[in-house]
Amino acid sequence: MSTDTIEILRRAGAPIHPEPESFVKRYLFSIDHKVIGVQYFIVAGLMILLSGLFAEAIRVQLTQPHNSFLTAQQFNEAFTFHGTLMVWFGAIPLVTGAFGNCVMPLQIGARDVAFPWLNMFSFWTFPPAVLILLSSLAFGAPDAGWTEYPPVSLQAGIGIVFWTTAVFTVGIGATLTGLNFLTTVVKMRAPGMTFTRMPLFVWATGVTSILSLVATTALASALGSLFLSHVFNIPFYDPSRGGTVVLFQHMFWFYSHPAVYIMIIPIFGVISEVIPTFARKPIFGYKLIAYSTVSIALLSFMVWAHHMFTSGLGPWVTLPFMILTMIIGVPTGIKIFSWVATLFGANMRLTTPMLFSLGFLSTFTLGGITGIMLASVPVDWHEHATYFLVAHIHYVLFGGTVMGVLSGLYYWWPKFTGRMMSETLGKWHFWLTFIFFNTTFLPMHLVGLVGMPRRVAYYDPAYHAINLFISINAFILGACFLLLIFNMFWSLKKGPAAGPNPWGARTLEWMISSPPPYYNFKEVPEVYAQPYGYGEPLPYNAPYDQMSTTPTY
Amino acid sequence: MAVHTEALEYAHHGPMTDEEYVEQRDLRFLGFLMFLFTDSIFFTAYIFAYLYLRSAAPVWPPVGIERPDVNLGAANAIALFGSGITAHYAMTRLKENRLSGYIWFTIATIILGILFLLGQVYEYHAFYHEGVTWAGSTFGASFFTLTGLHGFHVFVGVWFLIATFAQTLAGKYSPSRHFGLTAATLYWHFVDVIWVVLFFLFYIY
Repeated sequence: MSTDTIEILRRAGAPIHPEPESFVKRYLFSIDHKVIGVQYFIVAGLMILLSGLFAEAIRVQLTQPHNSFLTAQQFNEAFTFHGTLMVWFGAIPLVTGAFGNCVMPLQIGARDVAFPWLNMFSFWTFPPAVLILLSSLAFGAPDAGWTEYPPVSLQAGIGIVFWTTAVFTVGIGATLTGLNFLTTVVKMRAPGMTFTRMPLFVWATGVTSILSLVATTALASALGSLFLSHVFNIPFYDPSRGGTVVLFQHMFWFYSHPAVYIMIIPIFGVISEVIPTFARKPIFGYKLIAYSTVSIALLSFMVWAHHMFTSGLGPWVTLPFMILTMIIGVPTGIKIFSWVATLFGANMRLTTPMLFSLGFLSTFTLGGITGIMLASVPVDWHEHATYFLVAHIHYVLFGGTVMGVLSGLYYWWPKFTGRMMSETLGKWHFWLTFIFFNTTFLPMHLVGLVGMPRRVAYYDPAYHAINLFISINAFILGACFLLLIFNMFWSLKKGPAAGPNPWGARTLEWMISSPPPYYNFKEVPEVYAQPYGYGEPLPYNAPYDQMSTTPTY
Repeated sequence: MAVHTEALEYAHHGPMTDEEYVEQRDLRFLGFLMFLFTDSIFFTAYIFAYLYLRSAAPVWPPVGIERPDVNLGAANAIALFGSGITAHYAMTRLKENRLSGYIWFTIATIILGILFLLGQVYEYHAFYHEGVTWAGSTFGASFFTLTGLHGFHVFVGVWFLIATFAQTLAGKYSPSRHFGLTAATLYWHFVDVIWVVLFFLFYIY
């Protein structure tokens, strides 16, 4: 940066950290939130693909009732890695680390997050954790599923030590990211941006950060005790010495239930940005969406035992958890209604991000409905540990999180690369993903209802035809991601220039050039109203009030 | 509201202005409070585990194990709580720009902290001598895990105090700018408060 630019920025009240010249400081150990966000995106994206390969291996095994593609041991390792990689190394880093880092500071008009150096540190806990986890494949991989319940997890070999260390390490990064983001949201919003003027993605990121702060440390203690149980043989989970295995389930799910909201609340934020942009209408019920996010977060700490209905808790424990779990459906339903009401009467523009958001609305709602079914104790007793549960979790995590991530990816891609992706390919990608997602996971409800247990390498030949059908569709679903990868590389090389605001959106990140300059905002924006007033003048001071919100694409 | 500063080491090469310092201090203060909060969840989870195991056991402490010696625990607690008081006065003295007072109170705090750690080592030694071990029983498992985690925090706190002490002697902190010292003192009080809970749970309840 020239000294002139520095002087301009200083007068504008913006702080300056000069753009580093060296490759290492610019792209590897960068303290800039945009670079760190992209780093998260690359590593977490690779983990999603790797985890997808594990899923495909599971499906190959299940094409035949007694297949010899994998041994039973390898099958256990495959579903353990699939779950572990998807949850901690794919979904959570994508929705917090990647989207949060890239978008949130821009949306509040800040130069960076509150603690840029800490942000870099958070990211760099991630690749070592990946290496630790993957190296366990060479030393006896963990094989008790992503939940690693004792005593099974403690009976296995050294793999559990790698697993706990890896998840602990990535958890440190997640906690510090939460701390960083919450401080940023509370303290660093642009002048005039009150809480109820924040974009809804910022609400979502802030609330997710609270969840990370409270819950991830609880996971750390659960992992710590599992680690100690294996290494030092302490009797927390050994019934023969006074311990109890249900204790682990409590400690684990006290984290892991909020964790499912860590994976979905940022996506609620993404959907709340995408839908008004392409409906060209103010979002319906801004405050309802914002406050229901908060109430979901609060309730998420009071429902963990609904994962443990079959663990032998008494009815005086399961009943309140059942009722509280069903209550969570209320704020979630409020959101769905608000989004649908935003669409009501709108002249929608069916671009790729919008299509994925609409896909999210339908598939996530279906996942939510099976969630209410499973919340009911008698139903859960029947369906727990069957493929019905697998179908439910994939409807909320694939139909919810992955659909939302793809929506956000197509939406913000032009902002951070400066180039458009191919809409034609994008629409093909959406329709194929949407169709084959449903043909893959919808039959799992059926096969679960008739009684096929999950996590089994061999099964009753009576379920053969339907499993073969699921597997074939799962292979096509996996292949759909090649379209996305091709589209990304095509866009980087040949995509048309995006311009600052191709979708005609109104949040602050679209008021600056694409990709954003290193210093983000040349002049500190001042905010006068919510960003969603389509049809009204932009609620920002000069020069941002002159920006065009006419879609150019 | 000047909201656009960030880590100012990166931003400027000269000293911070007062306004920048206040902004930076407030950010770090909030961040540090969140850190302490998330750290307290660590203890909360293990305290939950302890209470859970305790309620699941037919008798507590398990047969053949005696409760920890409340006199030793109380002596230890007095050392730690006393160090909380001296840490508070050290901070006050620094704010009043009375450096010698700060020095003596901080030395007292560090010595009391080390005394606490020595007391804990003695207690561990006595327990192991009696055959109460980490792996031996659920009592041992929760006692050594929780007090060990706390002891580790005290250990870190002592080094935190020593580091900020050295920084103060080197002239880094002034009556108006002393965030590092505030953080160390706050951390020390946090460790104190945790011990209030642990002392009650293991020695009295």
